[in-house]
Amino acid sequence: MTSNSVRLAVLTLVLIAAVGYLILTGVKQTGMQYMSVAELASLDQAPKAEGFRLDGVVAPGSVVYDQREPRLQFKMTDGKDGKDQIAVVYQGLMPDAFADGREVVVEGAYRHHDRALYASKLVTKCPSKYEAKGLGKDKS
Amino acid sequence: MSELGRLSLLLAFACSIFAVGSIAWGLRTGLSGPLRGGRRAVWTVCGLTVLAVIILERALLARDMSYRYVAEHTSKDLPLHYAFTSLWAGQEGSLLLWLLILSAYGSAFLFAYRKRLDPFYDAVAMVIACVMIFFTGLLSFVSSPFRILATPPPDGMGLNPLLQDPGMMIHPPILYTGYVGFVVPFAFAMAVLLLNRSGTRWIEEVRRWTLFCWGFLGVGVLLGARWAYIELGWGGYWGWDPVENASLMPWLVGTAFLHSVMIEQRRGMLKTWNITLIALTFLLSMFGTFLTRSGVLTSVHSFAESNIGPWFLGFILITATAATALILYRKALLESENRMEAVVSREGSFLFNNVLFVALTFATFLGTTFPVLSEAVTGTKISVSAPFFNRVNVPIALTLLLLTGAGPVLSWKRATASVLKRNFILPTFLGVVAVLVALPFGAAGIYTLVCIFGAAFVITTIVMEFARGIQARKSVETGPLPGQVVSLVQKNKRRYGGYIVHAGMVVLFLGVLGSSVFQKEAHGPLRNGETLKLGPYALTLRGVTDHQKQNASLTTAIVDVQRDGKFVATEHPSKAFYSKSQQPMTEVALHTTPMEDLYLILGGVNEDGSASIQAYINPLVSFVWVGGLIMVLGTLIAISDKMRLRREEKVAS
Repeated sequence: MTSNSVRLAVLTLVLIAAVGYLILTGVKQTGMQYMSVAELASLDQAPKAEGFRLDGVVAPGSVVYDQREPRLQFKMTDGKDGKDQIAVVYQGLMPDAFADGREVVVEGAYRHHDRALYASKLVTKCPSKYEAKGLGKDKS
Repeated sequence: MSELGRLSLLLAFACSIFAVGSIAWGLRTGLSGPLRGGRRAVWTVCGLTVLAVIILERALLARDMSYRYVAEHTSKDLPLHYAFTSLWAGQEGSLLLWLLILSAYGSAFLFAYRKRLDPFYDAVAMVIACVMIFFTGLLSFVSSPFRILATPPPDGMGLNPLLQDPGMMIHPPILYTGYVGFVVPFAFAMAVLLLNRSGTRWIEEVRRWTLFCWGFLGVGVLLGARWAYIELGWGGYWGWDPVENASLMPWLVGTAFLHSVMIEQRRGMLKTWNITLIALTFLLSMFGTFLTRSGVLTSVHSFAESNIGPWFLGFILITATAATALILYRKALLESENRMEAVVSREGSFLFNNVLFVALTFATFLGTTFPVLSEAVTGTKISVSAPFFNRVNVPIALTLLLLTGAGPVLSWKRATASVLKRNFILPTFLGVVAVLVALPFGAAGIYTLVCIFGAAFVITTIVMEFARGIQARKSVETGPLPGQVVSLVQKNKRRYGGYIVHAGMVVLFLGVLGSSVFQKEAHGPLRNGETLKLGPYALTLRGVTDHQKQNASLTTAIVDVQRDGKFVATEHPSKAFYSKSQQPMTEVALHTTPMEDLYLILGGVNEDGSASIQAYINPLVSFVWVGGLIMVLGTLIAISDKMRLRREEKVAS
């Protein structure tokens, strides 16, 4: 009886340890630093890890899309004054909701020497919340 | 009209509070009057919610632009059926749909147990009414669907083109039917603890409700995957997106519960664990709603950021605290009746199944919330995405696959060596054969091979179980084999329904394996008459056309598809421009065969008239959907089992 409980506990612990190991190494190897454009732009030297995730806004007028490749290049800003900018290069089709001034999230490798993020993933946030503001106030 | 809508929600809020108070009073005093009053109040909440939904639907269908919700989510050129389904296009309407389904569950519950005078069922209704207070309150005071605009616009904003899809019409209600339904098992569990009830009857009832919601949630998740596959236009059906994860997590914990509940029924063990799983399933479905609606995390399914996040978080925390306190308070009730006798036994395999399912949920939860958690702990935000989930979840899922084969053929209490030998030699052998057969086809990598081995292993054990069952009934059952299989399943629906679910899961695993590991891609600009080669396919552009739809203009490429030199179809990948949103909408062309999908995207038309085409071969994707359908079939069979039992009970009583 007791030896069984011990065996069971040991096996369960082994399983939990294995999962813990997977998670820890997973975070270490696939984790990306999550930064704002200003934070990334203010780095003086190349960051230790390459993986980055960046939230920001597509700088108006910066989009260059080569549909044949397909390759999408644009600049990202924090959306306020547009002072800090990071260039983004994405090999892939332009997402439907992608446009100047849209909020986007990109993930990929940051190369410090050309201050560009080579994105492997590009997500465009739904624009509806901006448009909804145009409706004006509620009737009181 | 809108005032009537507001009023009905406000009254529903009052009725919910009354229901909780009245039932609590009735339970305390033992008077039946307050209990009856409370039940009626729950019915009333349902009626009032239906009224609110009708009022909002009327406004949506009439495109009454004085309603903020209507102006935000519809437009005058929106087809009628999409105007109808815009009820769940935005936050307020989605919450109203939540409440509608919640109150429908409340009423369905009261109806199902209308003949039972046991106050236990009133206590269950009381817990459901507590959740109703939250939702009616939210809809009345924080996020009202009945806000009226000071100056109604001439036309609305239009419905997000992504949501203008038949799949999107039914996906949310089905998903919500799963999500919201977990409130009933949760209410049962809390009622048991509140009234300090022992006995196992409730656990069988909970199992049945859970199976029902679990089935709906599974279908909802798959419909969401199907929608992502067709509408998002990146060739995938699953991206480990926060919203996808949010719907997967309660399903995973629900699955764990559906397994461990068998140990409780059979051996009276793991009671605390089971109640915890029930509570967790409900909390995770609330958390899922919170994630989808709060804007805390960025998602492809991103919805507008809103003010309801803190309310949800508060509700989840209060519920979690109350549930934990109750479980601790009633520790004695949850004492185990037996102990585990051997590791290699049915109980043992269920236990590991549970540990793995919870680990899968935990890893998914951690990955989904990692930016928030890492910032809280270390101060820097770290984010993880698909590579993390694949790395962590794939090995866990594959271990579960192997366990799916092993578990059901291990005997209860203790599996002897001879049982192991009898049950495992053939499946192991066939698993190895499957791997050897797959190797020449380019199967490589440990995970791929384990998956193929596991699939053959599990299917063999399931076939052996059916064969054994038929063998055992040889004396009573004769006739053709299909008839024998049917009557075997009918004899023990729960068990064989479960095996069918397992078989569906295996098919789904194969689909995921095929489409993730063996996907092929090609792209390029094509002029008229030019051909793009992809595997056995040759895609030839025959022209580009433009035409006008009801609320969009459509650019379509006409592509002739040849496979191994033979013409198979003409496909029409296209791009639509919706006049309202000024946003393009990629509409993929899908050529589906049982073994593979050819997936065509029109990137756009270039200045020189050539069309940029992106093409994928997605092998075995149909296995994902077929596997899902088989799982639904198995679930239906397993659910129908209990109904038979209930009839017998009626005869006995």
